Amino acid sequence: MTIREAAESLRRRRFSALELTTAALGRIERFNPTLRAFLTVTAEQALQQARQADADLAAGNDRGPLHGIPIAVKDIFCTRGVRTTAGSPIYRDFVPDHDAFAVARLEHAGAVMLGKLNMHELAYGITSANPHFGAVRNPWNSKHSPGGSSGGSGAAVAAGLAYAALGTDTGGSIRIPASFCGTVGLKPTYGRVSRRGVMPLSWSLDHVGPLTSSVRDAGLLLNAIAGHDPADSSSSRHPVVDFVPDEDCPVRGLRIGFPENFFFERVDSDVELSVRGSIARLESLGATIKPVTVPDISAMNATGRVILLCEASAVLQPYLENRGQFGPDVLALLDQGRLLPATDYIHAQRLRRRMQREFARIWSSVDCLIAPTTPLTAPRTGDTTVKLAGREEDVRLAATRLVRSINLLGLPALSIPCGLNGDGLPVGLQIIGPAFQEALILRVGAAMEDGGVGIPPCPMA
Amino acid sequence: MKDWASTAKAAGLDIPAQDISRIVPTLNSLDEAFRPLAESLTPEMEPAAVFRADEEQA
Repeated sequence: MTIREAAESLRRRRFSALELTTAALGRIERFNPTLRAFLTVTAEQALQQARQADADLAAGNDRGPLHGIPIAVKDIFCTRGVRTTAGSPIYRDFVPDHDAFAVARLEHAGAVMLGKLNMHELAYGITSANPHFGAVRNPWNSKHSPGGSSGGSGAAVAAGLAYAALGTDTGGSIRIPASFCGTVGLKPTYGRVSRRGVMPLSWSLDHVGPLTSSVRDAGLLLNAIAGHDPADSSSSRHPVVDFVPDEDCPVRGLRIGFPENFFFERVDSDVELSVRGSIARLESLGATIKPVTVPDISAMNATGRVILLCEASAVLQPYLENRGQFGPDVLALLDQGRLLPATDYIHAQRLRRRMQREFARIWSSVDCLIAPTTPLTAPRTGDTTVKLAGREEDVRLAATRLVRSINLLGLPALSIPCGLNGDGLPVGLQIIGPAFQEALILRVGAAMEDGGVGIPPCPMA
Repeated sequence: MKDWASTAKAAGLDIPAQDISRIVPTLNSLDEAFRPLAESLTPEMEPAAVFRADEEQA
């Protein structure tokens, strides 16, 4: 059931917010021991919020489509009075005295907070095999990774433990779990959603966004969390519009860019087949598919990695005296960042500006781009390499290969499920748009969803 | 290729030798990809860092 369907049923009194929340808590109790998606379940608080939501609705105080809807947030968002670990023992006992901007916005919109979601340690990785709190498992096949770093968010939404979840995306950390878990994942434009109250990994690459079970639900979440925040130096004053696509969202006449280079190179054959099939479906709906050549994405990935390595090591430097409190993969990345000279960081930020200008030229010929989100489906938990087109590749570098550059550019990107591979694991595609054109990419995503692009419900849901 | 162990020593970083050995291949491949890009920059290219002189002071 989507948020929109649940909201409709709440207003028709088919069930109450309390019943909806009780059912969600029951599913968490049943499936979380397997999935390890939640680190903290705030059951009492959730039930109290649900009762209040019911009372408010009965009194005619309707806060909108998220009113009474049970959701959860990655454990990197500060939550007043609720432990916030960022998946690390460094913050094992950290209890914030404030809510993150996005969390406060969701609560203001009437959402019911079920708890905090497991993640890759410090959001610095893509497996969510957290060495301190347990590996999150993929609801489609528990032997496989849910992706990350927002792995708990992807697993919880896919398994129907929450109607939506907040995640963060620094190098693909919303879109990768969305792709691996078969959910929708939206990384908005840099500056569209405030980062205030989100524990940083990389100030200039971190983005906040939702994971949901439908495109229109992602629009609903973005409606609630978008907007200027003077307390976040990167927060934009760009006008906020209604991001939820209309029921009839035509794509006729839209120019959809099909990247001829990079994005379909070294991609798993099932992934390529599903994405190409989905693009053909979009064409049959009236969109114009235009082949385009994109600028050097490998160069953008290298540049993005330099920025991430340097910023993350600066963020976490105070804790590096005690090396034993980091998992080996995270420690290796932190050491790499400390060894890069300051001049490389500055050069990377200079290159970033040039790459932004070069990439922006694409928008004169197409309205958006469509590409695979990840070149592979969910790897088995513990796999460190993957073979794609006969070439052995590091799993982390492979999973981030098609998404990292979009963080560097700060552009909005929406991942939607578009098929299952031969093993029944989800495949995702991403729709990438010009800055602040979230409404456009959501419209294209909704048209594809309405047009039959998608996957069956997760067996666990 | 850079001598990453010497770089660490010069910077006063306390990184065990075996940990440096583990990350050397990754650092070398990143450096190989990044160095030509950095060398292509011209002086007028400014960084994308943000600083506003009119920003309100806390």
